[in-house]
Amino acid sequence: MIPAHESAALTVLLRQGHRTPRAYADLLEETGSALEVLERELSGGDGQISLLPPAREDLIAEAMADIAGWRDRGIRPLTLLDPDYPENLRAVHDRPPLIFVAGGLDPGDAKSVAVIGSRRASPAGIDTARRTAEALVGAGYVVTSGLAAGIDTAAHAAALDAGGRTLAVIGTGLNHAYPPRNAELQRRLARECAVISRFWPEEPPSRQGFPLRNATMSGVTLGTVIVEASATSGTRIQARQALAHGRPVFLMSPIESQPWASELAARPGVYVVDSPAEVISTIERLHGPGALVG
Amino acid sequence: MPTVAELSDLYGNFMLGPQPGSDVCRVCFNLTNGYRRCYACAHGGRWLDALAPISYSVAGEQLHHALAGYKRGGGPVARRFALELAAVMWRYLAGHERCLVRAAGVECFELVTTVPSGERERDDTHPLRRMVSELVAPTRGRYRPLLHRSEVVVAAHEFSIRKFDVDGELGGRSVLLVDDTWTTGANAQSAAAALKRAGAQAVGAVVIGRYLNRGWHDNDRRLCGLRPPFDWQHCVHCRNEKSTD
Repeated sequence: MIPAHESAALTVLLRQGHRTPRAYADLLEETGSALEVLERELSGGDGQISLLPPAREDLIAEAMADIAGWRDRGIRPLTLLDPDYPENLRAVHDRPPLIFVAGGLDPGDAKSVAVIGSRRASPAGIDTARRTAEALVGAGYVVTSGLAAGIDTAAHAAALDAGGRTLAVIGTGLNHAYPPRNAELQRRLARECAVISRFWPEEPPSRQGFPLRNATMSGVTLGTVIVEASATSGTRIQARQALAHGRPVFLMSPIESQPWASELAARPGVYVVDSPAEVISTIERLHGPGALVG
Repeated sequence: MPTVAELSDLYGNFMLGPQPGSDVCRVCFNLTNGYRRCYACAHGGRWLDALAPISYSVAGEQLHHALAGYKRGGGPVARRFALELAAVMWRYLAGHERCLVRAAGVECFELVTTVPSGERERDDTHPLRRMVSELVAPTRGRYRPLLHRSEVVVAAHEFSIRKFDVDGELGGRSVLLVDDTWTTGANAQSAAAALKRAGAQAVGAVVIGRYLNRGWHDNDRRLCGLRPPFDWQHCVHCRNEKSTD
């Protein structure tokens, strides 16, 4: 395991540094160490952090204290270089350099599919979400969703009911629950599975948070299943992000009748499916043995 | 097993195919301010007979990330990238190798080889070599490890006719040179020079990504004009023919 100093160094970089999180992700992979990146930034060059040595010690001490406090509440920071950082997320260009996890991640979590959709879901949509989550659990997949009302909640609950594993990727810091009525479900997922956030634990809900959450969720998973969604939902954002990540998007057939969905269905990598079984067979084929057929 | 079409389709959502034009370098398809050759192509070696960049590889974006990631660490992420990039290479060559053959002015490429990597020790196990010699059906039967780094010390982005050596004689055969990324072209041109010194009749190159930075000049606006999905039906060379017909 990477010592706490690595996450402390990265915390300082993200708080004080002048670069974007993505630039720090690149630097982390190039150098193999957040401490080394911090040293480099402090010793000059562009994007440097202008700090005198005493201030630097204070910032590292402060970050260490914050990390200890988060850990006391069961929140673990994971840097991009940590072996437990989700493998699928590492493979996307906009991977966050630092994420926070409540609960425990498992190497098997790479076999994960996102099931998402509208917050104001119809009974038929809820039913489809449940059947999809159950089928994925039955085939050995982890069901990932966003802990929002409607489809997300149905997918998490059905996966738990089926005795499966389900991950939440949320759009706020882990100290918050949004919507508040899902606080209990969030606690249960943290206890039994894992809840992931790319935000500082204290960060409240914000307009910018949710699209970033969707990008992270797409990154964590092998593909995204869209059960039901309106033209204005965050679900559409995730569809676009999944395609930008080179991951397949599955549209459960009833939503194809909506104009935005039929437009999306024309894109390569988008599958319109009638059943959860089609989602599973497609993912199995895309991730079959490491060779190609013409 | 994944099919080539299905895997490469997923990349079709972010790959940006170069389009020839009056403000695009005729050699490497770099975006210029109205010059027919970009600075690097005008001032570097000119040994390649034709180049086909499959896509632009834009700093920080998904293709660029995959092109760096497939050679990093050898874990599951790297292997996955290698498979996906192999699908892209396979589909492109199946459709457009003949366009590159025509552009290079030959009948066919009898041999296929890769540009050696920066570190000599890594070469035998380099994932690019594995892609071209094992995963990609259009190249694997013709692959030969022809090139290796010479003893001459040359900087990474510098051209030199002595940068690489070839063992043996190519006796007038034509070679398809494969690399993952084209930045200045110094390595590919140096490799082409070595192949020509060893008797190659013609050398054509295919690269997956022609590196670009959105922050440079007008690149961001011009890249925004190249909208996905990627057009597998046309390449830089068959588009060229059409425009001059």
